[in-house]
Amino acid sequence: MVIEQYTITTTPKYNFPQPTPETPLPQRFIELSINSLRQVRNTTFQPNPQNIHQDAYAEETPTQLQLKRQPLPLSPRRQETTLAAVDTSTIKIGETTTGIVIAIRGATVWKQNRNYKYQRFGPLIFHITEENKNAVYGNLQRDYFKAQNSGSHQSAPTLMQMPTRLASLLERLLQTTLAKKMTDGLILFDGSLTCGTIDTPVHRLREILSTARRNQNTVIAFSKATSLRSNGFLITDLLPEKETPYLLETTGLSFKPPTVLLGDVYVARLNKANMAFRLDIDHEMPFQSHLEAVEKLLGNDAFQHGYPETLRLAHILCTFTANEVLAMQHFVTRRHGIQIINRPDMHRLLFGPFGKEGYA
Amino acid sequence: MKLYKKDGNIMQILSFPNESAEKGDYLMVEDADVAKALIVQVIDVQFAAVQGVLEELLRTLPDGAEPIQGEDIDPLEIAPHITYIQDATLLVCKIRATLEGGTLSPSSSWLPSRSQSLIKKISIPELMKLAKVNGNLPIILGGTKDSTLLTIDASEIDGTLNIITGKKGCGKSHLSKLLMASLIGYKATVVIFDLNGEYGSIGMTNDGRRNMYYDKIYALTPSQNFKVDIDQLHLNVVLGILVNALHLPGTSAREFKHIWKGLRDRGALTLANLGEAIRNCNCNQHVRDALASRFHSLVNSGFFTDNKAESTLLEDSMLKAKEQGGAMVINLKNTGNIDRQIVVEYVLGKLVDSLQNWKLKAVFLFAEEAHLYLRETYWDDIVTRMRHFGIFTTFITNQPDTIQDTIYRQADNIFLFNFTNEHDLDVVSRAARVDAETVRSIARDLPPHHCLTLGRVVHDFPMVTRVRSLDLKTMGETRLFFAQVPVIA
Repeated sequence: MVIEQYTITTTPKYNFPQPTPETPLPQRFIELSINSLRQVRNTTFQPNPQNIHQDAYAEETPTQLQLKRQPLPLSPRRQETTLAAVDTSTIKIGETTTGIVIAIRGATVWKQNRNYKYQRFGPLIFHITEENKNAVYGNLQRDYFKAQNSGSHQSAPTLMQMPTRLASLLERLLQTTLAKKMTDGLILFDGSLTCGTIDTPVHRLREILSTARRNQNTVIAFSKATSLRSNGFLITDLLPEKETPYLLETTGLSFKPPTVLLGDVYVARLNKANMAFRLDIDHEMPFQSHLEAVEKLLGNDAFQHGYPETLRLAHILCTFTANEVLAMQHFVTRRHGIQIINRPDMHRLLFGPFGKEGYA
Repeated sequence: MKLYKKDGNIMQILSFPNESAEKGDYLMVEDADVAKALIVQVIDVQFAAVQGVLEELLRTLPDGAEPIQGEDIDPLEIAPHITYIQDATLLVCKIRATLEGGTLSPSSSWLPSRSQSLIKKISIPELMKLAKVNGNLPIILGGTKDSTLLTIDASEIDGTLNIITGKKGCGKSHLSKLLMASLIGYKATVVIFDLNGEYGSIGMTNDGRRNMYYDKIYALTPSQNFKVDIDQLHLNVVLGILVNALHLPGTSAREFKHIWKGLRDRGALTLANLGEAIRNCNCNQHVRDALASRFHSLVNSGFFTDNKAESTLLEDSMLKAKEQGGAMVINLKNTGNIDRQIVVEYVLGKLVDSLQNWKLKAVFLFAEEAHLYLRETYWDDIVTRMRHFGIFTTFITNQPDTIQDTIYRQADNIFLFNFTNEHDLDVVSRAARVDAETVRSIARDLPPHHCLTLGRVVHDFPMVTRVRSLDLKTMGETRLFFAQVPVIA
């Protein structure tokens, strides 16, 4: 059983096959993780919490979006190209009297010489409280992204937003590292190239894309679900019955500030499966290289339901299973002396059999 | 270990990788608050149904073939905790007894605290001490898994019906020899129907020297050193042979009785006179023919004689065995089917006669593959009537379905070796002192020479033993065609 959790966008990994040993990423995350856990020593802990419900990033539907009906046919390019994908997951594993205990994990998967390899970072467990949340988030922003306003009240997430914020931070960091260390490859992100939100400032994504370009990498972002509509229909539902694989171009796509789109948006149907995905490709790259990048992806990766295997593996590898959640609960109780308590389920207590979760 | 679930007399206990427990082990579930403990036995070990394990395993094989290679940077070292949870096992246990105030009782009507109970392994010696499985006449069956000896009390075999069963070649005969030798050591009288001629050399060590049992083993080979003087034969015994082994009809049996009594009264009971009397019998032709044919069978068996000197061995053996203990090994190896039944009928008849007359105190009878020489109606007779005369039987078989259900239900002790066949396990499960789950689960996984002992000798605490070796000359090996063929390199 896989626990319901968030997967934030994709993240990079270092240059393949060797990760950079000097990366500052692990150390700072680890320090903050351990420091935060020290604060909960010998306190009580409520395991098996409800899943955090974070409002998904709301795509504002642009009014002028049009989908070109003429497909751009693609033919796979077998030219050996390194592929890499990043994904992160987060989950709340319990509550303490002062805050929440969360775990994050990131995975980078790459395909080189026909072999998939991965590097997983984590799980890292954080005890987040109202007192330390700004410090944890701010320190990470400052250390890894040189953020100026870290710790300020504008950017400070709420306690419940912290799991996704931290995971997002880790993901951007992994993406940055990947963009720096990889050359002549394809970097797959989970999600879109839309930015301007609190956890994805424009300058951060722009920097990642620019670094990738400098190293002759192409960034392709896959959205598993989109709310973009053309003439009232979801763009991924408007698939012409043409020979696959193909791309459909979009035009007229723009968002209201502060949301910014750094990619050209396509609808990609990459195999015979009747499934299509929103595809964002760095708009600073020439149009022709967009097609080439997707064709290289087709020639170098396997596809299940039109979704690239590298990205699928990244998602699978970072996702937390119920077993792992148990193990992490075991870890915090054993290593940090946190005593597990079972608070009564108020829904059950008040409403009996009608108090099931999901029957609000 | 943590108490997880109880359903009937089955208890499920969660065990973690650092707490090893295997099938057959005993655990004590102690609830200090009520000063009571349950004694349970592990009958199966399963993986704990931990959520997410399937996903965990699946993602190690994401492309469906070879495991994906990679590196895990796990700075907090959570992986050992994941393994710890993933490798948790569920011990399915059978409740055997309740321990209260140092006394064991078979009750399982109470429930220990799930959160407060302390669960620990209990060693076999500890359990044996609690269950008082020892006594003044110890028989060491062998070693247990925790390197201790399983010792039973010979008196727990006294007056009981025992079954030794298991697959071919797993050590049944070896155990029966061990029991037999131990009984002889305690001056018991033992009779063995030796179908394969493998018990005759129990008095010798492996290297051919005489051992302590040498003078107590009486190997009797029918028609050779074991014959019966017809004059000393009791009418009931001979009628038993004629009716049961040779299927003489009732009318003919009555006529035979008259003839026999006539000869006995005249003091002229010899084989020759008996044959003559049958030939001259003034009776129905069919009856005469029936009697004549049975008479020839008796004569042709070579088992009966008119020579008193040839027929003293059994009596002498019994006498000696009564004094010092001993085993009369009836070698049936080269005896034909009918003759085998004649011999067995005679021996059983003689034993009953001797026991009735207190010539013998009691006899331990070991019957190997008894279905080959005991008529069906004899089974009940042996376990009910003859038990009261003092014949305590141990059946040894590799075909458990050849023993009747009624025997299983009355069996006091079962020594069970490995069986993999479901049908065989089903049959053994019918024994009254056995629970089907234990038999099915433990017996199936028993290694060779390991025996699950059930019943009175272990005070109903099933125990697995590796049967100890004996320095006895074994004769039970199967003759092999290729045994002497040199190996071609």
